Amino acid sequence: MKCGLILMSSLKAIIEPFTQLEGGLMPALHAIQEEEGYISNDAISELAIAFNYSKAEVLDVLTYYDDFSQEPLGKNIIRICRAEACQSQKSEELTQELTSHFGLDLHQTSGDSEITIKEVFCLGNCALGPSVMINDSVLGEASKDKVIKFLEKTEK
Amino acid sequence: MNTDLKIYIPNETTSNSVGANDLYQKISSLKDIDKVKIIRNGSWGAFWLEPFIEVEKDGQRIGASFKGTDISHCITIDDFMIEFENKSPFDIRDIEFIKKQKRIVFSRIGLGDPLDLSLYQENGGYHSLRNALNLDQQSIINKIKESGLTGRGGAAFPTGIKLQTVYDQDSSIKYLACNADEGDGGTFSDRLIMESDPFALIEGMTIAAYAVGASKGFIYLRSEYPLAKDYLTKAISIAKENNLLGNGILSKEFDFDIDLRIGAGSYVCGEETAMMESIEGRRGLVRSKPPLPAINGLFDKPTLINNVVTLATIPPLLNGSLTEFSNIGSGKSIGTMPFQLCGNISQSGLVETEFDISIGEMIETFGKKTKSGRPIHAIQIGGPLGLYLSSNMMSTKLTIESLQSIKGSVGHGGIVIFDDTVDMSEQAKFAMEFCSKESCGKCTPCRIGSIRGIEIIDRLQENKSSTKDIGLLKDLCETMEATSLCAMGGMTPNPIYSIINHFPGELTEE
Repeated sequence: MKCGLILMSSLKAIIEPFTQLEGGLMPALHAIQEEEGYISNDAISELAIAFNYSKAEVLDVLTYYDDFSQEPLGKNIIRICRAEACQSQKSEELTQELTSHFGLDLHQTSGDSEITIKEVFCLGNCALGPSVMINDSVLGEASKDKVIKFLEKTEK
Repeated sequence: MNTDLKIYIPNETTSNSVGANDLYQKISSLKDIDKVKIIRNGSWGAFWLEPFIEVEKDGQRIGASFKGTDISHCITIDDFMIEFENKSPFDIRDIEFIKKQKRIVFSRIGLGDPLDLSLYQENGGYHSLRNALNLDQQSIINKIKESGLTGRGGAAFPTGIKLQTVYDQDSSIKYLACNADEGDGGTFSDRLIMESDPFALIEGMTIAAYAVGASKGFIYLRSEYPLAKDYLTKAISIAKENNLLGNGILSKEFDFDIDLRIGAGSYVCGEETAMMESIEGRRGLVRSKPPLPAINGLFDKPTLINNVVTLATIPPLLNGSLTEFSNIGSGKSIGTMPFQLCGNISQSGLVETEFDISIGEMIETFGKKTKSGRPIHAIQIGGPLGLYLSSNMMSTKLTIESLQSIKGSVGHGGIVIFDDTVDMSEQAKFAMEFCSKESCGKCTPCRIGSIRGIEIIDRLQENKSSTKDIGLLKDLCETMEATSLCAMGGMTPNPIYSIINHFPGELTEE
């Protein structure tokens, strides 16, 4: 219970700077997603109180956007670009290779919480596709080997 | 050792995606590196050469592509210089790809550290704002009208008229919202401005805000661009420190501030009314127009909405380039357009040029041939709501008028090349799939129609000549086009029409 209280007060601290901002709910959701890794039920309650919304209204907003997750995601998030320029550079094959290598479908997280694979439509790296974003880094002319190597380097 | 040796290593998403950051780490740990000045510059936009490293000594600046180069054997800076010289370095400004462009808006990218305010000012930066603050608002708007500039985000609406409408509103509070939700597949021009010349956007926003009387600006940046976020955050704070943003800008009675807001992975939020919903903290549902955002926009106040490149075009227009710009092209297609040449093409990158160029010339002059070495089969122009051209349509001009006449659009200037391994029925299906994933859900033809579209194309892939399914697909496309509130549902049929018309027998056989 004590742990729960600490959690609630840290959520309050994350949300607080955004409550006076015009349209502060989006930046608050981003901050929680970044700090906590997902938007928990506790976070939804706290957001509802802070912004004077119902919990349903907070849910209404957060479920619209791909970036907000109600489940914890993996430690490393792999986003495979599936937009047109990457398609022309065989991104569909790369998607197949990566999902089968990790044994995950798109939008799934591995059992050990290490990896989440997602699709994304355009990373703006269209000149050197196919592109894969791992956390905040974009890999151009990506291949399965490049992705694996990058993850190994991240581990170190 | 030459003490005034400078090494330029780009810090830009595409350059970093193929190793610029790794090279920077290695080079900065070389022995004697303290005798050299390392500059993280922007990219010149000749992306196929990245990571392109330049060395400047004795006033001469030359560079070479380090693509796939392993420099782990280098111990000292001299070792690196031997490696560099072995690559026969050249001045990138001398290559045809750069020389044949007309860079007015992208004139500074690659030059140096994008956050170096002095460099920005030495190269024409902030002259326009200084001039503008001495002019009355209407005369700035008149100049922009005179220039013929139209919105570079996709809709090509005359920028001057938009400014005028916001200016004409009688309201003590007005907003400016910069649409930096560059979501079309095959586009990166906004990103390149934000990462490689961010003050150009900030200056453009400040001038536009002054012209219409807005005191607060938002930049709605897509979350897929973390490096742009980093650059903009820093550039905004540098501008504030230097009295170029905030209260009493350049000691004049003009206050303007910029708030950076981050999107959350929704394509439709690049549609201006959905973007406003998102900034206000709601689902990105499209609003019906009227009222126009210029009259009743963000938080119910008059709001000027423009995309990044459009706003970044304003400073050069007020700084001596107006005549040069407005003398290029005719009709609606005035000035330069930053085309983004990408996909399966060997010389990929940013090409700022006139609209009046055929797709064939564009490829011949700038892109050359496919990366795969196979023949070109299809060219997508204008993003997911644009159209596909076939390889026998190389004389098609890239003007707004020419593409409109074949039910396409220049859009945001993306050009994606496909070789002959592409399956056009898959591209048609993707158009529907993309719409089904990104639809905001407000209009039924877009939300449900796109799913029915996928199913029909699935069946056509089994039997191309099913008259029933061909009829259904055409009906569906017409319905989506006629009854969707915004371009998402309304223009998703465009790529499909183009595949039916220009690739006979590949999706349908009649």
